[in-house]
Amino acid sequence: MPEDAPARRPFAVLRGLGRGESVTGWALVSPAVVLIGVFGLLPVLMSLQLSFQKSDLLTPETPWVGLENYRKLADDPVFVEAIKHTIIYTALFVPGTMLVGLFVAAALNRSVRFISVYRTAAYITMAVSTISQGIIFLWLTDRDYGLVNAALNAVGAPSQPFLASPAQALYVIVAMTVWGWTGFSVIVYLAALQGVPAELHEAAAIDGANAVTRFRTITVPLLGPANLFLVVWLTINALQLFDEVYATTRGGPLRATTVIVYYLWDRAFVQFDAGYAAAMAYALFVVILVITAVQFRLARKHVHTS
Amino acid sequence: MTKLQLSDVAAAPVPILAHSDAPPAPPARRRRWLPFSAWHLVLIPLTFLLIVPLLWMLVTSLETEGEANRFPPVLLPERPRFENYSEAWAAAPFGHFFLNSALVTLVVLLSNLVVCSLAGYAFARIRFLGRGALFVTLMATLMVPFQVTMIPVFLIVKWFGDNVWAGLGIDHIGALMLPNLATAFGIFFLRQFFQTVPVELEEAARVDGTSRLGVLFKIVLPLSLPALSTLAALTVLTSWNDFLWPLIVITSHDQMTIPLGLSYFQGAHRVKWPLLMAANVMSLLPMLLVFVGAQRYFVQSVASTGLKG
Amino acid sequence: MIRRRLCIALVAVLALVLTACGGGGSSPSGPTEIAVWHGYQDTEGEVFKGLIDQYNKDHPDVKVSELYSSNDLVLQKVLTAVRGGSAPDVAYMFGSWSPNIAKIPQIVDMASQVSNADWKWDDFYPAEREAATVGDKIVGVPALVDNLAIVYNKKLFADAGIAPPSPTWTWDDFRAAAAKLTDPSKGQYGWLIPADGSEDTVWHYVPMLWEAGGDILSPDNQHAVFNSEAGVKALTTLQQMAVNDKSLYLDTTNENGPKLMNSGKVAMLVTGPWDLSQLSDIEYGVQVMPTFAGSGGTHQTISGPDNWVVFNNGDKRKQAAIDFVKWLTAPEQVKAFSLGTGDLPTRISVGQNQAVVDKMDENLPGSKVFVENLSNVKKVRPTVEQYPAISEALGQAIVSVMLGKDQPADALNAAAKAADEALAGK
Repeated sequence: MPEDAPARRPFAVLRGLGRGESVTGWALVSPAVVLIGVFGLLPVLMSLQLSFQKSDLLTPETPWVGLENYRKLADDPVFVEAIKHTIIYTALFVPGTMLVGLFVAAALNRSVRFISVYRTAAYITMAVSTISQGIIFLWLTDRDYGLVNAALNAVGAPSQPFLASPAQALYVIVAMTVWGWTGFSVIVYLAALQGVPAELHEAAAIDGANAVTRFRTITVPLLGPANLFLVVWLTINALQLFDEVYATTRGGPLRATTVIVYYLWDRAFVQFDAGYAAAMAYALFVVILVITAVQFRLARKHVHTS
Repeated sequence: MTKLQLSDVAAAPVPILAHSDAPPAPPARRRRWLPFSAWHLVLIPLTFLLIVPLLWMLVTSLETEGEANRFPPVLLPERPRFENYSEAWAAAPFGHFFLNSALVTLVVLLSNLVVCSLAGYAFARIRFLGRGALFVTLMATLMVPFQVTMIPVFLIVKWFGDNVWAGLGIDHIGALMLPNLATAFGIFFLRQFFQTVPVELEEAARVDGTSRLGVLFKIVLPLSLPALSTLAALTVLTSWNDFLWPLIVITSHDQMTIPLGLSYFQGAHRVKWPLLMAANVMSLLPMLLVFVGAQRYFVQSVASTGLKG
Repeated sequence: MIRRRLCIALVAVLALVLTACGGGGSSPSGPTEIAVWHGYQDTEGEVFKGLIDQYNKDHPDVKVSELYSSNDLVLQKVLTAVRGGSAPDVAYMFGSWSPNIAKIPQIVDMASQVSNADWKWDDFYPAEREAATVGDKIVGVPALVDNLAIVYNKKLFADAGIAPPSPTWTWDDFRAAAAKLTDPSKGQYGWLIPADGSEDTVWHYVPMLWEAGGDILSPDNQHAVFNSEAGVKALTTLQQMAVNDKSLYLDTTNENGPKLMNSGKVAMLVTGPWDLSQLSDIEYGVQVMPTFAGSGGTHQTISGPDNWVVFNNGDKRKQAAIDFVKWLTAPEQVKAFSLGTGDLPTRISVGQNQAVVDKMDENLPGSKVFVENLSNVKKVRPTVEQYPAISEALGQAIVSVMLGKDQPADALNAAAKAADEALAGK
């Protein structure tokens, strides 16, 4: 409680304090480093080792095969397809979820009566398991018995196979996951919107700006950090899509929804080729790392954080 | 209050500080352009759309097995079968599962809040040697899917159980806590939000002699309640619903958590949907209560921060 | 202050954790404890637990504990446990995994055990014994047997004025009936097939392949022969129903079969006894699989036996586990289990016991046909470790033909090539 916040702003003095802070910095991060190091990094390194071996997870002998798994990857047409599907999926899912989430959060960021009920509803959607989500979507989009096709038929449009069609299935999965992740996006944006001081809106309104302009020029820039967080986190998750595919199409029909992590799980636990799966995971890891780094770099240029 | 230009916004939130002595604006003015009831017209259909899966769960939880085994699904059961709830509860020692889940979630939550706050603040505000590289390294742990790392994690946790304390090892709930005590997700999340706290406030306090830790606890954290409570909500959700890891690690009934209990209803050839959904609804309730209880922290409380609302 | 409250909370929680994790000690000298992992629930689960209780009572020197684990996920669990040195003593495992789990060193080779006369190994149906045999090893003892047959909706047949499936049906008869029973305006279909390309799809095709005179692999298991004339004939039948007649509903979710059947939307299902209990809302009949006109008329079907696999966790536990499995799979217990759960008997002696079969049919109508159908199981899927790859290639081929994207001969040839590569490359 900075009741005693001084009126002076001695920035110059504070700059000098930046240098000797390494000890403090490391002290503060050390619990996290230890925990994540042991339970996060170590397994990641151990799996890297697996990618250089031939392992079926059954026999204890895991001969070293060097880069063989990675070479196989380059020649694997299904892997190439999986990459394509994963990219299309990510490119649609991330912006989709952010936009929908922002829209809904803006709607929920009001002091309307029962607003907490609506917010609770947004939160609790995240608690629904992907299995349940899968079942519902499978039903809603069913070619013969689903509600979506019933609605289409009612306006004279023909029934679509949706998840049963190699051409449409991936896009339906996009829709399904955007729906499932909206709650998360909403919660994050709500927290961020709380940080936008109402006076700024008031002042701007006095100046004559309408709601949309105010949103665009005041709110959106201040959402910078939240946007970065969502873009990065949603991308990381989209590139590792698995649960929803497992709960609905199992990579089909005819591999139309086979994404990278689904394919690697299949290789490891159905085809008993775990070394190969690990190599795939590492190829994916490098891609995610690069994309995330690019996102951070771009953010530094364009997002204004204090 | 001086007239703020739009261009002032990004550059200096500081002017707000200068007016901490002025009386707070009357709430009525803020609501002037909010047609009170009209928003409900937007919110209700929106919410309905979002909660369709939940409604389906509720409906299914009140059906008979025959009704649940129809396709297209039955939307209104003939008679709501509330016995499903008592039957689901009796099907497995859910009381015990609740306790285990609650314990694990509580420990993971507290640990994450503490550890990730410390680290998040350091990454957000403190310039220390190797900060960038360390952050990237920690983030890297988010980029390898669990299906690949689960066996190494299993082996590491087993080592802890054998060499440090059995309660942390395989087939104990300690093993469910250990790998989740801190996540790069939490650190990343808080780092972003801590960056939105006006740095001038911190600098002012530090000039007064407050230590970094003091600044964290006295200034940054109180101003970050929405972010902290959001992280808390997300952590609770993830921990409560974690299925794959407990599946691999736990083999004794008395150490099981709720998601494992729910899998009781999922047979090889048949899923007992009504009971599964009833159990699912029951397992959502604690999270719902937690969220409702934490609601007031989601809203930046003006009084607690001294900032003009 | 937040900090102080956090500290107190942490300490309190730690204290709770300490007390909660106190239990779980093991007695050094006491009954030998063995752990059994299985996937049984409700009726099956109750009967199974009852059997375990009985065994524990009769054998005070052994304590058998059971753990429920969904069958689909038990492989991941077992693999992790084995790597971590905490394998169970007995686990229920899908028969299709046999050739691969045979490679796990901790698995006990039952060959030397079951050669003892008191096991009555030959009393198990041939398909089960074959599914548990990988080369010279016997990886497990049969836990479950089933087969595929036609399950049909009596009312839909009566309404359409068609004679229900008979023991002399050919696939042409089946096709004709399916076409007549398909009514797009009502959303009604003649029959349904799981079409996700997994082994579920494949094992619906395989009995047709066998009945047409074909095989999956050559006798030496060295290359694929399912792209023979017989294979093309069988797949063409599926194509005709799926693409031309549109009487075959392609269930890509793999779950809607019994549900649609139960809702009266599908007239026939080729499935196993496990689905019967879900068909509570219709009157159904069961009939053997059709044959192909001009073939031997054997109405061949396929069986998917699963096994109890024993792990070696030291001599004492190993022996206790073997003894338990021997007891569990003895004719006496098989009879009790089948009568209690409706699962088909794994032993021939029990399956030919008229009184048992009649009682089972009384409890769950249609069981009788399934039991008798066990004698129509003439072949099994090859127990080679590359089977998952072969299944995958074949599954994709079948689905692409049924979706109208490929012709049977081309699809099968491509799949055979992929299968051969898998067999060669290892």
